[in-house]
Amino acid sequence: MNDVHAGAQHVVSRLMRESLMDKALIAGTESPVRAILPNLNVIQIGGLSIMDRGHTALMPLLDEIVANQGEHTQVVGVGPGVRARHMLSVGLDLGLPTGALATLAAKSAAQNAYMVSCLLAAHGFVYLEAPFIVQLLPAMLAAARGAVFNGIPPYDLWEHPPALGKIPPHGSDAGSYLVAEAFGARSVILLKDVDGLYTADPKADPDAAFIPAIGAAELIAMRLPTLPIEPVVLELLTRTKLVRGIRIVNGLVPGNLTRALAGDKVGTMIHA
Amino acid sequence: MHDTTSKDMLTDLGRRLVVGSLSDAALQEATERTPNFAILPWVNVVKIGGQSIMDRGAPAVRPVVDEIVANLKRHKMILGTGAGTRARHVYSLAIDLGLPTGVLTVLGTAVAWQNAQLLQYLLAQHGIAFIEPEGFASLPHYLMERGAVICQGMPPYKLWEHNPSVGRIPPERTDTGCFLIAEVFGARKMIYVKDEDGLYTADPKKDPEAVHIPRISVQELLARDLDDLVVERAVLELMLKARNIHEIQFVNGLKPGELTAALDGAPVGTVIYDAAYASAAQGDAA
Repeated sequence: MNDVHAGAQHVVSRLMRESLMDKALIAGTESPVRAILPNLNVIQIGGLSIMDRGHTALMPLLDEIVANQGEHTQVVGVGPGVRARHMLSVGLDLGLPTGALATLAAKSAAQNAYMVSCLLAAHGFVYLEAPFIVQLLPAMLAAARGAVFNGIPPYDLWEHPPALGKIPPHGSDAGSYLVAEAFGARSVILLKDVDGLYTADPKADPDAAFIPAIGAAELIAMRLPTLPIEPVVLELLTRTKLVRGIRIVNGLVPGNLTRALAGDKVGTMIHA
Repeated sequence: MHDTTSKDMLTDLGRRLVVGSLSDAALQEATERTPNFAILPWVNVVKIGGQSIMDRGAPAVRPVVDEIVANLKRHKMILGTGAGTRARHVYSLAIDLGLPTGVLTVLGTAVAWQNAQLLQYLLAQHGIAFIEPEGFASLPHYLMERGAVICQGMPPYKLWEHNPSVGRIPPERTDTGCFLIAEVFGARKMIYVKDEDGLYTADPKKDPEAVHIPRISVQELLARDLDDLVVERAVLELMLKARNIHEIQFVNGLKPGELTAALDGAPVGTVIYDAAYASAAQGDAA
C-alpha cells in the first residue's frame, strides 16, 4: 500500500486526512468562541437541598424566579434529590453499572423538573427534555417566559465510570454548568441549602471558615473531603471558554437569588 | 411530610446514600464493594471506522459487511459507526464560525448517524435494525433475534459534551461512545475496525520506520505521551476507571478475516490492556 488513503473519498477541509488525536492538530483548533445566548442565566434548584423540603422551601424561590424573569432571562435546571439516592441504593445492591445508575437517577430529576414546570406554567415556563434544549430553547425563550430542564446531563448509559466507586459523576451541577457553557450564558447560580463553601462542614466544625470566592484550580488543590458542588464541575471549570464562574447561594434565604442575578457578591463564587 | 425513607427498607450503604454527600470519598469507596452484574456478557461491540472504512466506499465497506454477515450466527454484535471526513469538514467550518464544543458534538453526531444509516441499508436484508440511544432498551431483543444491531458511535452528550483541555474538537467521539456501550453492558469484547494493523511507534501513513505494537498496556501507552494515537485519548483515560472492559482490540478492516479472527479471540492487530487487571488475572491463575 503506497497511499493507504488512496481509496478514501474526502471532503476538502483543514482537518481532512488528519488524525484528530494529533496534539498539534488539536492545538490548531484553539480560537475564540461565540456566545449563542449571552443574556441567559442558568439557575439550578437543588434536589435534596430545596425540592425535597417541599412547599415551604420551593414556593418562595419560584416567586423570586418569576419576579426576576422580566429583567433576567432564566432557565431553571432541577436536581434529583432523595429518590435518586434510593434508586442508587437499589441499583448498587443489584450490581448495576454506573451507566445504568445514571439512566435511572436522571428520571428522578426529570420528575422534579416536571413538577417545577407545572408550578411555573402559569408564568409561561415550559419543560424541555434534552433534545428540545438542543433544538428549541431559543424559540421557547423568545415565545414563552422561561424554561425548566432536567439538571442531570443526558449521558444515560454513556455516563463515565468514576475513578472511585460507581456513583455517576455527572449530576445536576455538571448538567447546569454544561448548558450554560454551550450557550455562553451570563451566569450560573446554584441554589442550595448552605450559604456557600466552607473550609470544613460548618454543621460539624465550629472553626469552619466561609470562602466567599475561590478559583476552581485552587479549590481542587485544597482537597476538601466534601464539597457543596460536584467535583467534576471544578475540573470542567478549568477548561471553560465562556462561563466565567459558578455562584453557590442559599436558596432558603429570600432575596439571595435576586442579589445573585443583580451581580452582588452573595454566597460563594467559584471562578474559572 | 412523613419519613419516606423507612430505614429498615434500606441496606447499610443505602442509609449512607440517602443522608450523605455523594462527593464523600468514604461513601464512594463503599460503592466500590458492591457486586458487578454484567447486563449483556455475550455481546461484542464492534466499531466500524468513519474515515478509515466508511469514507472509502464500496471497496472497503462491502467486504466488512460480508464479514459481519458471515459472523451473524456465531457472534452477537453491536455495530457502532465512526464519523470521518464530513465531520472534519463540519468541525472545521463550525470552529471558523466561533461555535462551541457542544455544538460541534451535535454536528459530529449527525455524520456518525449518516454512516450508521449507510451500514443499515447494506445489512437491512439480513434483518439488522438501527437503534437510537433512546431505543437501547429493545436492543437485547434484536440481538437475540438477529445477532446484531447498528447504532451511531457518538455518545449522546450533544450540547452537554465537555470542553477539551486544548482546542475545540469534542474529546469524546465515536471511539469513546462505543467503549462506553461495551463498558455499561459488560460486553465480551470491544473491537475497533480501522484501516491499519493497529498501533505503531509512529504514524505508518507518514513514517516508513514505524514499528507495529501487537500488545501494550494502557499505562505504558499513556506514559509514552505520544503526539498521535490510534484511539481517542478519552478511551485510554476511561480504561483506567472501567469496571468491566479491561482490553480493547484494533484490527485492520481492509484485511479480510481480521474481524472474524478478533471475534474468535485471536490476538490479531493490537490489543491495549489494563495492566492492573492483567496482573490480577495472572495472580488468580497462579
